[in-house]
Amino acid sequence: MREVYAIGLGITSFTRLEYPVAEIAAYAGMMALRDAGIREVDHLYVANMGACRLNHQSGLASAVVDSLSLTPAGAETIENGPASGASALKQGFMAVASGLHDVVMVIGAERMREVNNLEATDFVATLTHPLSEHIYGVTLPAMAGLFTRLYMEKYGVTERHLAMVAVKNHAHAMDNFFAHLHEPITLAGILDSPEALTNNPYIADPLRFYDACPVSDGGACIILASQEVARKQGKPLVRLAGVGQATDTHAVHEREEPTDLLAVRRAAEQAFRMAGVTPQDVHVAELHDAFTILEIVESEEVGFFPKGQGHLALERGETRLGGRLPINPSGGLKAKGHPVGATGVGQAHEIVLQLRGEAGNRQVKDARVGFTCNFGGFGNNVVCLTFVRED
Amino acid sequence: MAVDLERILRPVDTPMPSFPPKFMTLAGGEEMVIRQVEREEIPDILPHVEKLVHVERDFYDIVAARVYAELLGYHCHRVQDEYVLVAQIDGELAAVVNGRRMNADQGMSYHTLSLRRGLRVGAHAFAAKMEYHMDILGQKEVFIVAESPIGFRRWMIEYKLEKRFEVAHELGGCPSWSLTRGLFEAARHDLVVGRRPVPEHLLAKAKAAILKPSDPPRPPEDLLAATRSQNDPTGTALMLHAWALEGRK
Amino acid sequence: MERQLYGYQCPKCGHINYPYRMRCRKCKETEYKDFTLVALPGKGRLLTFTTVYNLPSDYLVATLGLGIVELSNGVRVMGQLRIPKPKTGMEVEGRIEVVRRTEYEAHYGMVFYTA
Repeated sequence: MREVYAIGLGITSFTRLEYPVAEIAAYAGMMALRDAGIREVDHLYVANMGACRLNHQSGLASAVVDSLSLTPAGAETIENGPASGASALKQGFMAVASGLHDVVMVIGAERMREVNNLEATDFVATLTHPLSEHIYGVTLPAMAGLFTRLYMEKYGVTERHLAMVAVKNHAHAMDNFFAHLHEPITLAGILDSPEALTNNPYIADPLRFYDACPVSDGGACIILASQEVARKQGKPLVRLAGVGQATDTHAVHEREEPTDLLAVRRAAEQAFRMAGVTPQDVHVAELHDAFTILEIVESEEVGFFPKGQGHLALERGETRLGGRLPINPSGGLKAKGHPVGATGVGQAHEIVLQLRGEAGNRQVKDARVGFTCNFGGFGNNVVCLTFVRED
Repeated sequence: MAVDLERILRPVDTPMPSFPPKFMTLAGGEEMVIRQVEREEIPDILPHVEKLVHVERDFYDIVAARVYAELLGYHCHRVQDEYVLVAQIDGELAAVVNGRRMNADQGMSYHTLSLRRGLRVGAHAFAAKMEYHMDILGQKEVFIVAESPIGFRRWMIEYKLEKRFEVAHELGGCPSWSLTRGLFEAARHDLVVGRRPVPEHLLAKAKAAILKPSDPPRPPEDLLAATRSQNDPTGTALMLHAWALEGRK
Repeated sequence: MERQLYGYQCPKCGHINYPYRMRCRKCKETEYKDFTLVALPGKGRLLTFTTVYNLPSDYLVATLGLGIVELSNGVRVMGQLRIPKPKTGMEVEGRIEVVRRTEYEAHYGMVFYTA
């Protein structure tokens, strides 16, 4: 297998975008072409989950490849629920690593706010098992609520810990121009004050309003290329060194151990092994915090902290910018936003930016090893990526 | 004579107790004051409401147009027993809520207009309005309708409002829903939040002036898809501009 | 008509699969046509629960109680809860009732009550 490098980055604001979804995708692609200093690619992958259902656009990749005038390059849309982004990066990685292509563009894009919030909730709920979950009216927040209650009872995670994740990520996003929410929040406002229950009501107890990410539109793009192309470019050499993926049962109630996210554990192991690094070598990570509880659990399952102790590391301040292992310096899904198909690419975008040293006020000092975890469904399909700075 | 005509045209208001101002801490830690305004302050509010008449999404245009009319009606003494409450954050206008006392026992809720993005401001303001009808005016029920599906979900469904479809609401004659005293008492600990009295400095700031909202809802940049590519609210053009200022390529 | 929720038991390894799948999850050998139908019991223990406030569009109620229950034969199911103050570990009893109505049909599933 050849080595694969990230040579171009592009991103739109994650917010409410009033453009066709293909245009949102193309914008990110255009910025990446400019960043990479190239005008053609060999192939395009577009990660997206809802274009057919929400935006009446099927064959999204075919629309985008033409919008960017990249025809006759081949193009495919990759759908893997909220893990579409990292899955598309994995496909791009395989295309370059195998020698089939030299330069591949991977875009993640989503336009969820073309429909109202109710329809967006319904859409995301289609990830659940049709016979044993969907008929009960379960939503993803409901799944997270069921999971959070178990975690709280088993490991002592409290609402305060969840609120701390939200406050941390909102603070990080203040330095991220493209983040959806530039909204500093305080523990007093969302938890302690007498009015906290109105400010931060329960959505699926024990989860509250500020424990769930917003509904966002947005696009992100990474151009992957072979070593030969990357060296010619003259930019910092950031390599996509490891990819890992694992699946688990579709129905959440069939999981072996209800408080385990085995797919995260296995995918992370693969990604680390391929890159030849351990969790302790990682300097910066973007974990999938669609719900604040997930950041805590994933930080344990990928190996940063022992199982059941992620919330203690959070208490000690280890996971905020300036701490030992900053998690979600971009603001995470909670504050940066979660356009479902774009998220995986957005996470990788942040990591590559960090490893290049171009993250401005949210730069993690001397970051050379970065990691992302993209969580699909409710833990039944997870893709992890490891990036390494080579020069 | 003008004075006699005015006496006929102007409804006689029933004396109504005023809303004791209260304050609450919002999610970001800032404090919001909710207080009642009198006729003299209405001209200060109107320009901020007028801007929202042009925001053609999320029902802002219809709600803002109606609120504007209701505020003018109050100001010009052409609506009987109307009240207006405003929510202010650091003096800036954050929400306007209003309604009317129909009779001793029944109230008519008009609108809740939020001028600060972040839905919770609307929730606090709506709750203050219900508190006014129930606790301050001592009424037995309040009739409510909603223009938007979000409003419907928040009020009709969340508070389990009773259907009172035989009552034509003053807002367009639509079938009304009712918050009864029973429902209010059941939801009291959720609905009646906020603290009194308001600290001196906060109240003084709020009373000094109603300031322009810093981040109100805005109309979209350009409605026409074909020409929209020339503007770029995706933020990427701004990023390039920022990069250019920093000296990056 | 008495409605019943079924598990799909593998004659080879005895594992009861729920929900329906094409191959036994445990031994991966038995295929769907060789499963034995096993009526799932109603009694069980509540493993976890939540009260959902932001509901899908088919539900015009304020809240919905959902939970995961471990039935007396070891099979875990999701169900709606009609339990005012649920507690993890409590004994519950399930009945088959309408759990969702779409424009065209009524869907039946497990609804749990205090045992």
